[in-house]
Amino acid sequence: MEQRALRRVGAFLAIVLPVLLIATASLAEVDWKAELGDHSGKTLRVIMIADPWVTAFEKINPEFEKLTGAKVIIDSYGYDATHEKQVLEGTQKSGAFDVIVLDSPWVGEFWEAGYVEDLKGYIEKTKPEVVEYDDFVEVFRVISDWKGHIVGMPFGAYFVTLDYRKDLFDQEGLTPPTTFTEWKKIAAHFTGNKKYPGMYGIAMNNLQGSPVGQAWFEYIWNLGGKPFKSCYPGSADPYADVTPMIDSPEGVAVVNLFKEMLQYGPPGALSMAWDERAQAFASGRVAMVSAWSVRTPIFLDPNRSSIADKFAPAVIPAKKGLKPVPPVGGWVMGISKYSKQKDLAWDYTKWFTSVDIHKKFVLAGGPPSRYTAMQDSELVSKFPWFKTIEKSAAMAYADCRPRIPESFEIISTVGIYVSRALTGELSAEEAMGKANAQIRDLLKKGGYNMSE
Amino acid sequence: MVRLWLNHRPFSIQERLDVQATSRQKLFFIAPAIVYLLAFSVFPLIYSLTVSLTDLNIARPHTGSFIGAGNYIRLFTPGSLFLKALYNTFFITFIAIPAEIILGYFIARLFYTARDVKGISVLRTVYIIPIMITPLIFGLTWSYILNPLLGIMNHILMLLHLSPQPWFGDPKTAIYSIIGVDIWQWTPFVVMLILAGLLNISQDLFEAAEVDGASWYHKVFHIEVPLIKRVIGIALIIRLMDVFRMFDLIYASTKGGPGGSTEVVSFFAYRESFNYYNTGIGSSASLIALVLIIFLSMLFVRFSRE
Repeated sequence: MEQRALRRVGAFLAIVLPVLLIATASLAEVDWKAELGDHSGKTLRVIMIADPWVTAFEKINPEFEKLTGAKVIIDSYGYDATHEKQVLEGTQKSGAFDVIVLDSPWVGEFWEAGYVEDLKGYIEKTKPEVVEYDDFVEVFRVISDWKGHIVGMPFGAYFVTLDYRKDLFDQEGLTPPTTFTEWKKIAAHFTGNKKYPGMYGIAMNNLQGSPVGQAWFEYIWNLGGKPFKSCYPGSADPYADVTPMIDSPEGVAVVNLFKEMLQYGPPGALSMAWDERAQAFASGRVAMVSAWSVRTPIFLDPNRSSIADKFAPAVIPAKKGLKPVPPVGGWVMGISKYSKQKDLAWDYTKWFTSVDIHKKFVLAGGPPSRYTAMQDSELVSKFPWFKTIEKSAAMAYADCRPRIPESFEIISTVGIYVSRALTGELSAEEAMGKANAQIRDLLKKGGYNMSE
Repeated sequence: MVRLWLNHRPFSIQERLDVQATSRQKLFFIAPAIVYLLAFSVFPLIYSLTVSLTDLNIARPHTGSFIGAGNYIRLFTPGSLFLKALYNTFFITFIAIPAEIILGYFIARLFYTARDVKGISVLRTVYIIPIMITPLIFGLTWSYILNPLLGIMNHILMLLHLSPQPWFGDPKTAIYSIIGVDIWQWTPFVVMLILAGLLNISQDLFEAAEVDGASWYHKVFHIEVPLIKRVIGIALIIRLMDVFRMFDLIYASTKGGPGGSTEVVSFFAYRESFNYYNTGIGSSASLIALVLIIFLSMLFVRFSRE
């Protein structure tokens, strides 16, 4: 009896102690003066996307400059231009940038091309309480890993949430849609409704190229499809067999769904990308938008949004009977292989992505990417939408957008053909058939395994 | 000349040395220009031609194998996006450039007629402001102005009780929106050239025509147009090259969409070269554009000479 009691206490301690240790370690403030080197007179250059979070970086960076004496310069570009600039710097073996902030689908490309350092060694050499790597959201940790190498610190996790006009939904007695059928009904309800003049049901990413290409990859899972034969949630190796399935019935259904939803979108819906759909929702003229969570702070900011106190986020809908797979994406912070000051680059990376600085980043408008941030009482009371993010994170699939080196071209190719189908130039079947053939050629050239 | 040469006494050795020295001196002076041309024009052209015959992708190792005309065959495959880009480029060329020339002539004529009016030089300066704006900036600015939901253009249309337009957001209107913006930006340039041509015409010709009882259309078609034909030819060639290089506006507004309706050759070459890093295909597309520009420019030169 005594032995059993002792075993129970032992088991209890075995579970609770590590949790307590992590919690204590997280709470303990890092002595940054001792942890960071003196980099007086040096300049650190960071390249990243010009997303709304740039201002958050600019708010926080002076603290690092004060601690180390180094100057931090951020160069930010549009989505395509960021990729273009980063790859060109890599092909030229240029050390112009020390820290490279990469989108999740580019992880494989940058590792295979040898443009970034493996951060595993850096993390191992640093005190665990400084890095707290396991505190990063699990699905995003998977994203930053490519064949066992850590390509970047997973600090900027984005999830797509369904943002809806809570005030109007309440008024109409509606609840956030959980299936595409409900979603369509609600979009139709608000479009052309005399009670809501000038209101539209939905704003979507329809712009040709990466925007609508990415949208296709965001919806395919939620219609029960997959882009490649062995790429699906739970797959042991998503790229073991990359036979493209872009023209599968589900792949075609995604295009038809986008086409159907055009009637509920604002005028010029075909030219909308990430910013335009967010602006449309923030202007108060759209009832629903599926947007990356990095834009949620814009919706909440009364200076930039007319619906700051009138909206709420929900988990995205899926086809009836399917569990939703909320798209996950976002940015990892890597170190350039060609940087001449990798010590400074790592000091910045570990500092910026640490628990306490991450909290400051989130408070300044950055996306929560650590469990400690998602569960922090101060943050949650300020940003109640973190609960939806946490729910979405638990259901997300790391490879919802491909991460192989060809992913940019694959996504863009899908985007060009989806756009041709949306304009009616090609039927959905023709468009996806052509995209499939082109992607098959591309993958064949890359030497991938395809069973069909 | 030949006779002079034959009658000339044979050159002395010293004279021959002097001639050779002069040739060497000439060569010495033009050498930098030759080196510059070889390095920055001839070499890139030959290199680009070589690359266009390979499957080079600068972001992937083990590419760059010789594939002959493979890239060109792919570009000219029926239904390819490149053919659409080529069609759109010609469409913009044949709508926008004549519109700019015709509009440019009329506006230049207005400025010409009002050349003695006080303050006209200020108006002329203001009028050419669009040319001075960075293309990417005006592309972004116009995409805000023509934003179907939040842009000022639709707001104005609605104030005038006209129906709002989707502008860049519909395949039927997108290409015309691009043409409209191009005309807005580049007509002032044509105006400048034609105005310079008009100001160079001697007043005596007009006075003589008036004495002979010439009507306005006689003056236009028998004096003005023939005398500014070369200027129009230059405007045509420059604008043709500009349209074939059109990139910033498409990049900032439509990204070639919707459905490839505003895809142009330069943007296609950019996407292949700098988004996908398919340098082989990008080079092939650029070379085709170059050949077309040279061919059309020669046609326009011939037109302006006749």
